[in-house]
Amino acid sequence: MKLDRRRFLGSSVGVAAAAGVTAEWVWPKHTVSYRRPRSAVAVLNAAEYSERIEALLLDGLRLFRLQVLGRSVLLKPNLVEDMPGPVNTNSALIGAAARCFLRLGAVRVVIGEGPGHQRDTELVVQAAGLKPHLAERQIEFVDLNRDELRKVKLKANYSGLGELWLPSAVLESDFVVSMPKVKTHHWAGVTLSLKNMFGVVPGMKYGWPKNLLHWSGIHECILDICATVPIHFVIADGITAMEGNGPLHGSPRQLGKIVLADDPVAADATCARLMGFDPLRVRHLSEGGHFLGNLREDRIRMLAEEVGAPTRPFSVLPEFRYLLAVKS
Amino acid sequence: MSNSDLLDELRRRELRGGGWSFFGSRQVSLEATPLAILCLLAERPSEAPRLGKLLSDAQLADGSWPSFVGDRESSWTTALAVCALNSVNDPSKARERGESWLLRAKGQEGHWFWRWKFKTADRNVQFDPDKYGWPWISGSASWVIPTAFSIIAIKQFTVCNRSEESEKRIHLGREMLLDRACVDGGWNSGNSVVYGVPLRPHVEATAIALLALQDEQRTEVIQKSLSWLRQNAASVDSVSSLAWCILSLFVYQEPIGGLKNRLATIIGDGRDIRNNATLATAILALKCGEMIHPFEVLR
Repeated sequence: MKLDRRRFLGSSVGVAAAAGVTAEWVWPKHTVSYRRPRSAVAVLNAAEYSERIEALLLDGLRLFRLQVLGRSVLLKPNLVEDMPGPVNTNSALIGAAARCFLRLGAVRVVIGEGPGHQRDTELVVQAAGLKPHLAERQIEFVDLNRDELRKVKLKANYSGLGELWLPSAVLESDFVVSMPKVKTHHWAGVTLSLKNMFGVVPGMKYGWPKNLLHWSGIHECILDICATVPIHFVIADGITAMEGNGPLHGSPRQLGKIVLADDPVAADATCARLMGFDPLRVRHLSEGGHFLGNLREDRIRMLAEEVGAPTRPFSVLPEFRYLLAVKS
Repeated sequence: MSNSDLLDELRRRELRGGGWSFFGSRQVSLEATPLAILCLLAERPSEAPRLGKLLSDAQLADGSWPSFVGDRESSWTTALAVCALNSVNDPSKARERGESWLLRAKGQEGHWFWRWKFKTADRNVQFDPDKYGWPWISGSASWVIPTAFSIIAIKQFTVCNRSEESEKRIHLGREMLLDRACVDGGWNSGNSVVYGVPLRPHVEATAIALLALQDEQRTEVIQKSLSWLRQNAASVDSVSSLAWCILSLFVYQEPIGGLKNRLATIIGDGRDIRNNATLATAILALKCGEMIHPFEVLR
């Protein structure tokens, strides 16, 4: 048979595609799957950060019948910088969450964060207004940038990193709660419960910012980290969110919502919809929907309010206009 | 509470096998340990051989130091370890091997491919990729704090006999710092403008970058940064940032008495300062003016 250029190209494409499929089958990108048949999400309305948040949150958490009795809970808020604006997860919500988990029977609640930009963690904790909440119930704060580290083999292989050193406080906790601030992000599109887990990667090893994760691919690293450190629950702070040039220099956006979920992909997909984005267009979400949780609306059971598209989608940098959901 | 009580507290926290962790774990941090060594040396110079050995035992085969004992990857802490060995006046080859590693290390943008990419395709962050410094860890870009400590370490080590190679590397690092200063002075982690938005300076990064530039000509960038630091030091309540302000302002002959008093009040007996690197930095700051400044660069 004569092999002309067209046939050669066609065969090459075919061989490459077959090799790709085989490679995925022989060397799967992930060795775990946390996806369940259905996930639960509750969107709570909260106009402001007030003392009433705790009661609202407790009622919301009870919808999920969480099994935290006698377990140690790690709250992982998003504390990035000591700067004004809705940059960090609000301390009133973090404090309320800590008190709620203690009331639900958790034996220990620890708040842990490894700020990615500011090296002086004390400065960030002070500026976020977290200190009174820590003192009130003697809740411990762990600086995840400087905790004792253990080398861990990653349970997914999108970044090619293979392994990471991770803090003992994270690896030893029974129940990890990701508490993101709902924000746009100038590298990842959005920063929600999955991206929030960059904060468990220790600065003492990887620096400030954790630049290796950027060089290895942000979406890829998010998938690898979240496959390795499973998120058991999400409390997303969408009361005052951030749009535009997030995660630091965007504008406040009053969304008035707290999103609770027993699945981080479902939580982030819901937050993305609340922001007016199509979650399928967020790379780490669309891929995470294969194994980290449920992305599709028909697999998400809404325990409280249904998610409607916002009257006006969150503004984004021009590079991220593709995230905007097409109006049906 | 006197400085010697604080030193006793720091000494009490030394791990049984030698060295310091950050928060009392058994993992020896090679950020906390050099800082603690610098504190102890001033009080008990006789301990220099033991403290020097502590560091040289942790050195990796390529001459670098990892971020903590047990890790096998080179890290920015190499610069801090060399600074500590400079103070110990370590006679072994450890310092020389450390400096030689520093001369070889560079941020990822030091590679022609990435320089080309940052010049042509990726312009969201404004910087000159021809001017590169040192990374936190291999495989990432240059950042302000590792670059500043590397410059100090090389300047100190080569003060009497500086090779052309060292001079070139110092020059490039200095250019990188000046290029990445914030618009109105001071330094953020390593960028000045991202997506058209000027970043605001960080206290710690600014103080440490100024330490690296202490013997340089007082350019406008340095003057603006110094005045930013002077202004902001007055309202900083965090122990680490305030301590670095004191250490930096001192070498520029700025008044630090008031800042030292405030730092002493905040730290009290030191027991609430759980982070050993922070406690050590605070002790160094409180002893500023009473001992040889550990990050001073002789002209």
